[in-house]
Amino acid sequence: MYELYAQTFVNGINVGALYGLAAVGLSLTFGVMKILNIAHGEFLMVGGFFAYWLFTLLGLDPFLSLPLIALALFLLGAIFYKLVFASVARFHEEVKVKNSLLVGFGLFLVFPQIARGLWTADERAITPAYSGTSFPIFGVRVAYVPLAGLIVTVVVILALHFFLTRTYFGKSVRGTSENWKAAKLMGINVDRTYMITFGLGTALAGLAGVLVALAQSVTPDVGMEWTIKALIVVVLAGIGSIGGAFFAGLILGIVEAVGAIFMGPYSVALGLVIFLLILMFRPQGLFGKG
Amino acid sequence: MIHWKKGALSAGIVLILVLIPLFVQRSDIITYLFLTLLYIILAQSWNILGGFTGQQNLGHAAFFGVGALTARYIWLHYGFPLPLAILGGGLATAAFALIIGFPAFRLRGVYFIIGTLVMAEILRMVFDNVFPRADVMPMKLLATYNLAPRYYVGLLFAVLSVVAVYWVNRSRIGLGMMSIREDEDAAEATGVNTLKYKLLAFAISTFMAGLAGGVFAYYTAATKVGDLFAPVWTFDAVIIVFVGGVGTIVGPIVGAVFFVLLKQLLSLYLPGGMHVLVFGVLFIVVVLYLPGGLIGLMAKLRKKPA
Amino acid sequence: MARGQDASGWRFWMLEVNKIDVFHGGLQALWEVSLNVDEGEIVSLIGANGAGKSTIVETIASLLAPTSGDIRFEGVRLDREPAHKVVTLGVCLIPEERGLFPGMSVLENLELGAFTPASRKVREISFKLVYELFPVLEARKNQISGTLSGGEQQMVAIARALMSKPKLLMCDEPSQGLAPIIVKNIFEVIKRINESGVGILLVEQNVRAALGLAKRAYVIENGRVTAQGESKRLLADERVREAYLGTG
Repeated sequence: MYELYAQTFVNGINVGALYGLAAVGLSLTFGVMKILNIAHGEFLMVGGFFAYWLFTLLGLDPFLSLPLIALALFLLGAIFYKLVFASVARFHEEVKVKNSLLVGFGLFLVFPQIARGLWTADERAITPAYSGTSFPIFGVRVAYVPLAGLIVTVVVILALHFFLTRTYFGKSVRGTSENWKAAKLMGINVDRTYMITFGLGTALAGLAGVLVALAQSVTPDVGMEWTIKALIVVVLAGIGSIGGAFFAGLILGIVEAVGAIFMGPYSVALGLVIFLLILMFRPQGLFGKG
Repeated sequence: MIHWKKGALSAGIVLILVLIPLFVQRSDIITYLFLTLLYIILAQSWNILGGFTGQQNLGHAAFFGVGALTARYIWLHYGFPLPLAILGGGLATAAFALIIGFPAFRLRGVYFIIGTLVMAEILRMVFDNVFPRADVMPMKLLATYNLAPRYYVGLLFAVLSVVAVYWVNRSRIGLGMMSIREDEDAAEATGVNTLKYKLLAFAISTFMAGLAGGVFAYYTAATKVGDLFAPVWTFDAVIIVFVGGVGTIVGPIVGAVFFVLLKQLLSLYLPGGMHVLVFGVLFIVVVLYLPGGLIGLMAKLRKKPA
Repeated sequence: MARGQDASGWRFWMLEVNKIDVFHGGLQALWEVSLNVDEGEIVSLIGANGAGKSTIVETIASLLAPTSGDIRFEGVRLDREPAHKVVTLGVCLIPEERGLFPGMSVLENLELGAFTPASRKVREISFKLVYELFPVLEARKNQISGTLSGGEQQMVAIARALMSKPKLLMCDEPSQGLAPIIVKNIFEVIKRINESGVGILLVEQNVRAALGLAKRAYVIENGRVTAQGESKRLLADERVREAYLGTG
């Protein structure tokens, strides 16, 4: 019995780290720009397929492809910001967030079609030689790939935290999120800050996509599922809480994994229940400031 | 005078639609017409809450699914007569909506939107797990399957839904709903019971979505239950409403005709499914640059020469 | 009006606002507003709530764009520059309600004040300067700015603006919501800033205090300049006294 629970717990952490990483980018753009990009999961999907391409066509190890994917998805995000989201950012708060949802919804229709054209509808996974290998510890098997994924996630989130709190530009991003008008008055180019923030968000989604393609698999239609996981995590953590998103991701992963023991496939509904309860009784999230 | 003209025009259109199956035998044309009517019901239902009340529901598929599932089960497996089954589907949907409506409307603005989105997606996953296999009509029914009655059921409910929206729009309820869309806080401050009107709009909207589901359940020979909850039902409804003209009565009708026509046209030239891409782009363009949809565009064009 | 006349004659003012019309949310908020501020001068905009005073300074800061007319600062057209460029030219606005970054520390607020490349280079000197002006901010530099008292928040707002090394500082209602004793302090500081050579454009509802501080003032009513001139002269003006000082 112990082994079952311990193994489930470890598996939950593995999946939860992916949830956390998928959520961080969404939380960043929502927190800074008040734009809710429900096409976030689509960028994750694209990141996964890009890494799949690099792996199958060039034989590039997925962990080595991480920086390339981050760069590619950053540029893709910046382009999409300029193309569609920049005109959303002009609107007033309430209209802005609603229109961003609708626009994201439109992208959510567009991306899978393009992905089908480029990569077919087949399920794709990145399978380097070391995938599936594991080592035992305390009666639990820990696989190398998810462990490396967890480490990547932690490093990325720490780097993001460092960027936002220690660098001048990162501080200007936070300033813009707190009061964009005042930020302008201080000489901060808000439009450029938004573009870079959006690009960072999609780059983070792309990184998560690589890990998803490695630990699980990607299909052109996987985007919405990940957007929803990320949304649940963002709400659980409290909007804009970067470190919180990581821990909330772990919590969701563990709850789903343990829930699966008792509820079987219905454990997916747990996410919804958590989501609605949090929204109703603690809208600032678990880690948000009350 | 204008009022009378509009009424005559509507009656004329309905009359033509009633007569069409008597003269047109091609099943593909009847199918397109049926789909247009189905989309009119679905789009009108979304528009009640999303267009008139300003509460965008991105989980509309859930209500379509509940209606379709209920209607299909009590019709096929419990032997309810068809009209009762479809009505029952609508009622079950509205009841389900009211149960989740109380907690859902504690969420405001963006949280309501993502709440509905998440709810629909989770329902789809759950139903995919509960009913993994396709639900096929019994052989006896399939042998006598005929499009014409499906078409007339679709027409009946499409006309009913347009009339219902027209009536709601002109009533006090419509006023209350629109005051919430314009400014929820101000509406509340002036004494509008916003929760009541939101729940009412939600109930009407989901009841109609349930009816649309029932009509589809009667039409489709075989379906996976999970597909009844598929996000595509939400998308189609939202796209049709926005392209046609959000918050108007004619918008969803124009949008539905446009949608079905363009979809068929695109399927002649593009590989399967690519029409979705075109509609996605079209939708984004409408949201960003043409908030009035086709109706708004027509009004603008008509105004310009004058 | 001696100064106004020689302005049109042979020399430029530091800031020249020339007949601007501004629309705000579809409605016209300003009608042909013209005003000037000279180097090292304190000029005040007075008028009732909603008269358009804030709209004027927000337009100078390029948060709003005029539909006609122009704004020049040292000869450069401000109305053609985006807001974040206006700061680099040396014009800084302290907005109404201070516009702090409330979740960030005092230090971080001040750092963002010196965001423009030129001011960032000299920020160590600027820090010294503002800490000298407001010793309390040095003691509180690690405190989250949103948790400070109203007076201290206003100090952060002023200090942050100074970090950008402005040649013209625009203060929108710096006395708003503050106790009289603190208002006196704030005005004292504004005077000291001015004495160091920075031009000041002060928006105030506290007309007596504003006219006491500024040499010249413009009276704004319903989006128009209805009176202007030396503060002393305005203080003596019957109409101004009646409308704004409550003494007919």
